[in-house]
Amino acid sequence: MKKPLAAFAALALSTCVCAQTAFQAPLVEQSLLLDIAAAKHLVMVGERGHILLSDDGQQFTQAVVPTTATLTATTIVGDNIWAVGHDATILHSADAGKTWQVQLSKPKIERPFLDVHFFDSRHGIAVGAYGMFYRTEDGGEHWRSELHAALLDPYDREYLEQLREEDEDFYNQELGSILPHLNRLSAANGRLYLAGEAGTLAVSDDEGKTWQRFEVDYAGSFFDIAPLDNNTMMAVGLRGNIFVMRTPGEWEYVKTCSTSTLNSIMVLSDTKVAALGNNGMIVTLQRPLPVSEPDPYANPAQCTAAEGIDVTQIKDKAAIVNAITFNNQILAVSANGIKQLNLK
Amino acid sequence: MSRITNFLERLVFTHRNMVVGLFALVTLFLGYQASLLKLDAGFEKNIPLNHEYMQTYMAHRNDFGGANSVYVSVCDKQSDIFNPAFFDTLKNVHDQLFFINGVDRSLVVSLFSPSTRFTEIVEGGFAGGPVIPADFNANNPQALDLVAANIEKANIVGRQVSNDYSCAMVTAQLLDLDPETGKPLDTLALASELETQLRGQFENERISIHVIGFAKMIGDVAEGAKDVVLFFALALAITAIMVFFFSRSMMLTLLPLACSFIAVVWQLGLLTVMGFGIDPMSILVPFLVFAIGVSHGVQMINAVEKKAVAGAGAKHAAMFAFRSLLIPGGIALLSDTVGFMTLLVIDIGIIRELAITASMGVAVIILTNLVLLPVLMSFLKLDHKYVAKFEGKEAHSTRFWQWVAGCAEKKSAYVILLVTTLLFVGGLYQAQQMKIGDLHAGAPALHESSRYNQDTFLITDKYEVTVDYLSVLVETSPEACTSYSVMRAMEDFEWKMENVPGVQSTVSLASIAKVVNAGYNEGNVKWQVLPRNQQTLVQAISRVPTSSGLLNGNCSVMPIILFMEDHKAETISTVVDAVKQYRSEYQTDDVKFSLASGPVGVMAATNEAVQEAQIPMMAYVFGAVILLCLLSFRSLRATLSVVIPLYVVSVLAQALMTLLEIGLTVSTLPVIALGVGIGVDYGIYILSTMNARIKHGDTVQQAYLAALQERGSAVLFTGITLAIGVSTWVFSSLKFQMDMGILLTFMFVVNMLGAIIVLPALAQILWGNRNKDKSPDQ
Repeated sequence: MKKPLAAFAALALSTCVCAQTAFQAPLVEQSLLLDIAAAKHLVMVGERGHILLSDDGQQFTQAVVPTTATLTATTIVGDNIWAVGHDATILHSADAGKTWQVQLSKPKIERPFLDVHFFDSRHGIAVGAYGMFYRTEDGGEHWRSELHAALLDPYDREYLEQLREEDEDFYNQELGSILPHLNRLSAANGRLYLAGEAGTLAVSDDEGKTWQRFEVDYAGSFFDIAPLDNNTMMAVGLRGNIFVMRTPGEWEYVKTCSTSTLNSIMVLSDTKVAALGNNGMIVTLQRPLPVSEPDPYANPAQCTAAEGIDVTQIKDKAAIVNAITFNNQILAVSANGIKQLNLK
Repeated sequence: MSRITNFLERLVFTHRNMVVGLFALVTLFLGYQASLLKLDAGFEKNIPLNHEYMQTYMAHRNDFGGANSVYVSVCDKQSDIFNPAFFDTLKNVHDQLFFINGVDRSLVVSLFSPSTRFTEIVEGGFAGGPVIPADFNANNPQALDLVAANIEKANIVGRQVSNDYSCAMVTAQLLDLDPETGKPLDTLALASELETQLRGQFENERISIHVIGFAKMIGDVAEGAKDVVLFFALALAITAIMVFFFSRSMMLTLLPLACSFIAVVWQLGLLTVMGFGIDPMSILVPFLVFAIGVSHGVQMINAVEKKAVAGAGAKHAAMFAFRSLLIPGGIALLSDTVGFMTLLVIDIGIIRELAITASMGVAVIILTNLVLLPVLMSFLKLDHKYVAKFEGKEAHSTRFWQWVAGCAEKKSAYVILLVTTLLFVGGLYQAQQMKIGDLHAGAPALHESSRYNQDTFLITDKYEVTVDYLSVLVETSPEACTSYSVMRAMEDFEWKMENVPGVQSTVSLASIAKVVNAGYNEGNVKWQVLPRNQQTLVQAISRVPTSSGLLNGNCSVMPIILFMEDHKAETISTVVDAVKQYRSEYQTDDVKFSLASGPVGVMAATNEAVQEAQIPMMAYVFGAVILLCLLSFRSLRATLSVVIPLYVVSVLAQALMTLLEIGLTVSTLPVIALGVGIGVDYGIYILSTMNARIKHGDTVQQAYLAALQERGSAVLFTGITLAIGVSTWVFSSLKFQMDMGILLTFMFVVNMLGAIIVLPALAQILWGNRNKDKSPDQ
């Protein structure tokens, strides 16, 4: 008798958590927003299950969403929108954001998704903390977990391979906690790039089924990776670090003298690219990017940035997480909500 | 009644010398005591300590500090703060404030306090330290650059440093008890130390010092209250001149004023004897006592003069005046006394003090002006020359009184009552709009142009976080801050409150823990959430010290601080209502969201207490007046005739408060009650004559004419004289006194008009028919 009751209670409790819809907040446009995506319309996601929709980039409406988990990333394919976030939540809308359904929610694993990418309306992946990696092949009806040991740095990999020979189960358990956070996905020219924790930069030619890790002389986290043209890749990360790859496999350092963490890359034109980051920092760089030798012992007070680099800060110094161009304006999402940036 | 009066008359007048001697002795003693009287202000007596919110406030005051804070903004007028002179001054201000007696030394916060720290995220985790390092030397430009960078990292711009970097803030909490003496803190002494030791010492052509907080405000009010004495003197002079024109005798001018003055001396002396000081906000009460004294004194000299003109000698005239005025005057003063005493039921210290001050003052008048005054007058010599002066005046004024007595004609009575009703309805509508609490930013007792209010505007303008904040205290079980569900409830509640209009920003342990959690994840804002994992949550919270004021020692109590756009009553009630609505979604048996702490929490409680007190207070005051009128007149009609005009006037006074944008606060709440005290005299004097006459069979109009001839001139005169006296307060440097001046002028004049115009009209309607039928027979 006791067991069904407990199960019922657990069910009631869990439905109670899931059924909680996000509070329609007047201040939602000034709240912490973490990703922005655009197709015909704009979608922004942020903390407490906030999803904002807009047709014109001026007027925003908050969607009614069946979660209060903080959402960290979103992507659009036609009328399909996916949003992912904390509590391993994946939300889906098939009608351009009008209604939302939960496709995945696993609060117990205490891990967030940090980015999501769909190759088409059926095939997509969501990545997150501790190497969390989920794939769907049916538009999100089913999500399957994968672990990619190839994303480990060589030392960890070596250690794990030894483990695997001794104990396969323990290997899998250890892999699930030793893998780096996977922070960002970006696709270009049929390849998929990934930026992650502890100097992780990787590329995949088969929609993320197998990965090759780049070698970079930096052990801090990367938060974005993006192609600038057919031959050049750029990556940004912790403490204002910018690296550029002009010859395949060789990442070089770009000195900006700014120590604020950079979250996103935004290509502005053929001659200009911007990196957006914490403390409201906007680093604009002339292309081609000037490279120099990293000097970890340099006195930050006496640093001079390479030529063509300009560092500005938005007024309220809120962390800028991502930005896109929409209707000829640059819209950014930040710790203080929507920002219109002037970068031209 | 008359047996008692006769007995008293014999008792007093056969021992005239002894009475005078006794009064002289008491006056000497109480005069000495009065000279010891101190201005005395305290924070706690302004708040309703037994209000639900204040119980919460008092219970957790030791953990989170009180609402009695001082904010000192040090500003550089020429440049930003990053120069040696500024930092030297800021350090000095911090140290000076630290050593001022009464400041809670553990809660002095500025850039220089060790608790002002920064943290930054580096590859290996966190790095941090005090914003101003221990080896700081203001003369080293690199040190200043470092501090500038640390200020950014510490995220204190808008709180400890102004948005434009031209000012920095030093804040302190005040203790309730003086640590040296163990007695309640002398707020006014502290305020003057703030003025001399901070502003006086450190303000110069480059640096300006801006000080706000309750202590400073009340200090400035007390400073302004010194002018009050000047205005008292002015009002006294005006009254003296007017009384002289009325009495045409130096002695008859001097005696009522002197007796009223003695009443004030007794009142002030009694305050010292009872161990009270006088609060700057009650400083007008002695003047009111004086005014009420003059009102009765003038009745007395009027009666003496009338009798003297009729041919009696001074002693007989005085005895007659004593006999005829003891009852009506006594009833009027007694109803004032009882009326003011009823204010004691309002559970706010300062109103209780006022109740004691005012009722004591009025009670004393019974002795000084109804007993001592006639006794003193009986010693006078009223010669023929004096009597002759009045005979012409009497004849002249009779024509005027006959015209006024027209008010008691039936036709005019209906017109008067119609106009009164219209005024009443209009007034009632306006009075309904009366706002509770402070209606404007800054301190309402001071002019907008005053230094204090200018400083308030500067600080609200230059800093993001205002001094207007309300804390909701989350009361739960020990170590609750390590529970995800408790923290999540707090955080969700906080977000809902942040969305309430009037709330500018919010902070709590839960929302800080989110930011710290992002910090532990390399400053990545995508991790700015409350971790579900308990160890991770503990890790995030462990970086928040108890000195932050966001948790107590075992984190069983955590405030959610709501910074407000202002402290207008409407804003406060919107926010408080929202708290009550939203907390029901999150409150459980173990997690209580209790109102309230912080300055606005105190204001919320005070506003609610004032609002709740308003109606009972009026009911008690009027109840006392009605009861005493019924007892003395033994007539419902007479009672109604006195009370209805009084009520109309008090409603009109509330309407005037609305029009003047004076909110109902602890300091303005008793004004209406005091106004009733002023007004009741007029009505009782007029009606006591009328009532007796009507009982003898006179028509209302005849009775009224007789009352006017006997006492009308004194009523008319008192109303005008006192109104002129208080109207000079309009020029006071205290806005509070100016407001009170306008209100009291209004009440003196309109109460007088009510007694002379509305009262007879009412009497006509109430008695009219009966006496018309009866009078031909008698």
